Amino acid sequence: MFKMSNEIETSLLIIVLDVNPVQRIIKQETRILTQCLDSTIVFANAHLMQSSNNQLAVIACHSDGAKFLYPCEKPVEIRQIDGQYEKFTMVERTVRQQLQQVINEISLDKPLNGESLISGALTMALCYVARLEREKIAGEKIYSRILVITASNDSATQYMNYMNIFFTAQKMGIILDVCSLDQELTLLQQGCDITGGNYLKVPQLSGLLQYLLWIFLPDPNVRSKLVLPPPVKVDYRAACFCHQELIDIGYVCSICLSIFCKFSPICTTCHTVFKMPGPIPIKMKKKKKTIDIVH
Amino acid sequence: MADEEEEKEEAIKEDDHGLLEASVADIIHNAKRKRQMEKKVGARLGMMRHLYIILDASESMSIQDLKPTRFLCSLKLLEDFIEEFFYQNPISQLGVIITRNKRAEKVSELAGNSKKHVKEMQNMQQIAPTGEPSLQNSIELALKSLRLLPSHASKEILIIVGALTTCDPGDINETIQNMKTDSVRCSVIGLAAELYICKRMATATGGEHGVALDDKHYKEQLNAHIDPPPAATRLDAALVKMGFPHHALHSSANDSTMAVCIHAENSDESVKLLSTGYLCPQCLSKHCELPVECRACGLTLVSAPHLARSYHYLFPVEPFKEVSYSGTPSTCYGCQKILSQKDKKVYTCNKCNQTFCLDCEIFIHESLHTCPGCATNQDTYQRSTDRI
Repeated sequence: MFKMSNEIETSLLIIVLDVNPVQRIIKQETRILTQCLDSTIVFANAHLMQSSNNQLAVIACHSDGAKFLYPCEKPVEIRQIDGQYEKFTMVERTVRQQLQQVINEISLDKPLNGESLISGALTMALCYVARLEREKIAGEKIYSRILVITASNDSATQYMNYMNIFFTAQKMGIILDVCSLDQELTLLQQGCDITGGNYLKVPQLSGLLQYLLWIFLPDPNVRSKLVLPPPVKVDYRAACFCHQELIDIGYVCSICLSIFCKFSPICTTCHTVFKMPGPIPIKMKKKKKTIDIVH
Repeated sequence: MADEEEEKEEAIKEDDHGLLEASVADIIHNAKRKRQMEKKVGARLGMMRHLYIILDASESMSIQDLKPTRFLCSLKLLEDFIEEFFYQNPISQLGVIITRNKRAEKVSELAGNSKKHVKEMQNMQQIAPTGEPSLQNSIELALKSLRLLPSHASKEILIIVGALTTCDPGDINETIQNMKTDSVRCSVIGLAAELYICKRMATATGGEHGVALDDKHYKEQLNAHIDPPPAATRLDAALVKMGFPHHALHSSANDSTMAVCIHAENSDESVKLLSTGYLCPQCLSKHCELPVECRACGLTLVSAPHLARSYHYLFPVEPFKEVSYSGTPSTCYGCQKILSQKDKKVYTCNKCNQTFCLDCEIFIHESLHTCPGCATNQDTYQRSTDRI
């Protein structure tokens, strides 16, 4: 393929690593966190090895915060290891050192929460990408992707944050990959589907590095040529606000977009009183009559 | 009119080196800040917007004060505008009308698919702007279809006019009255100067009127119309029936059916049989994209995230406090940029007290709609969901 000589293509990989100590698999076997960290560092270095232009960032998150592990504002003093590329040593040392600090800083006063603030780490990642996009030199192209490695459960409490993140990422052309170590993550699955990333629930934890290198290392434009696990079926149906049931056809408030499974005369979210719709079903007209009687 | 010209001159001031760049950048920045300040939490907004863009294609649009010409510059900016409009208003519709030779032509009907409109915009580059525009004709044309819409829909017209004259068959005051009775909001962006009649039209219908100083300012003016306007209080609320289609990913191989959506209609592309798509829950016809209005039964098909995407209008991030930088903290909490004395102003979130640089502040409020500081704090991350 012909390329302009002054065109630089950079591939930026941001790894969001969930280090919450109360994740189920870590509670069972503490060693697993170290094993995940080892695999992640090897994977990160593999990304850097592919091209000297490639960039890397690592963010750790837990139930009460998120922090950039790499790049770090205060680079650590590192003695070079003979025969190893300095950058690799740098990544490994910085990540380990910073992570130690993060874990030591987790306050034990508050009760530990099983829910990691992955959405928070993702917002930081997006700000970081936005900054690199602003600072890039003319002719430079940055292809960014974010990989989330987590064993936590995703819960609806972060739903709004996630949705904002997914659509911002889609708009910026950032791909979101998710590697789940423990459970199926339905929310993050939607994110992968929206942004065009891969989702994988690792079948065997011992093979983590293998899965990372196989599925998440190749560039997105190479992925279409590879035989990857079939995409998961993403459930996009909406849950109604009244019964939290998944519905096929529902009624949406034109003011606040709340979803209801049955027609009701007042929106429970924004307390708007609805005018009865003219052209839609006869069923509703009956209801209107009953309401009139009540009044 | 003369006043506006003077204002235009006045707004631009030279900096110490005799350059204008900084002055224009300042105007844009102030406008951005102002726009954010004006957003109110929980304000009633018209989500189902129906917008007609009326674009002047008269001879005055071939003037080259915007590069390459006013007309081509407008088309280019409108392309971005349309993409952005549908991104921010997923269940809204848009149509385009051009006016030249004292006539109005409908370029594209009200529709909810951005690709079609953008294509029309690109085709329009071949059109040579000629003759005089007619405001009345084009507004009446837009009103004809806006009138038919249900009363809960927000109806808007955006006029982009470069000419200083209009050639109308009748009394335009009647047209303004018609817009008022149909509760249509009419905004005007002038490319030359303020016109009395445009100003009156905008104020009478609750719209906005602005004059573009240069292409950057023009873009700003357009972008202001991407955010939904606060719905007029008399706008009727309604529950709208919508379908949430299944993602038919691997429907068994023998029933790979034809999609009924726009893509299947295009004559220049070969009609494809697809095994994936979205099935309308009411009539089971297949569509390859969401959101879309089912072509068979007319049901609006959306996915849950499409609705969620609009929630940030109802629960926006509160404006940050502007403080002068005092040396701490050393980095921006969002993008990790090292802050120095060059960053005169930094911004702090009132909830989580984290500090952000100017660029992040704009990014958070304009695109991300989530404060990174709050989202990484155990006590505040649920903020937005709590209020639902």
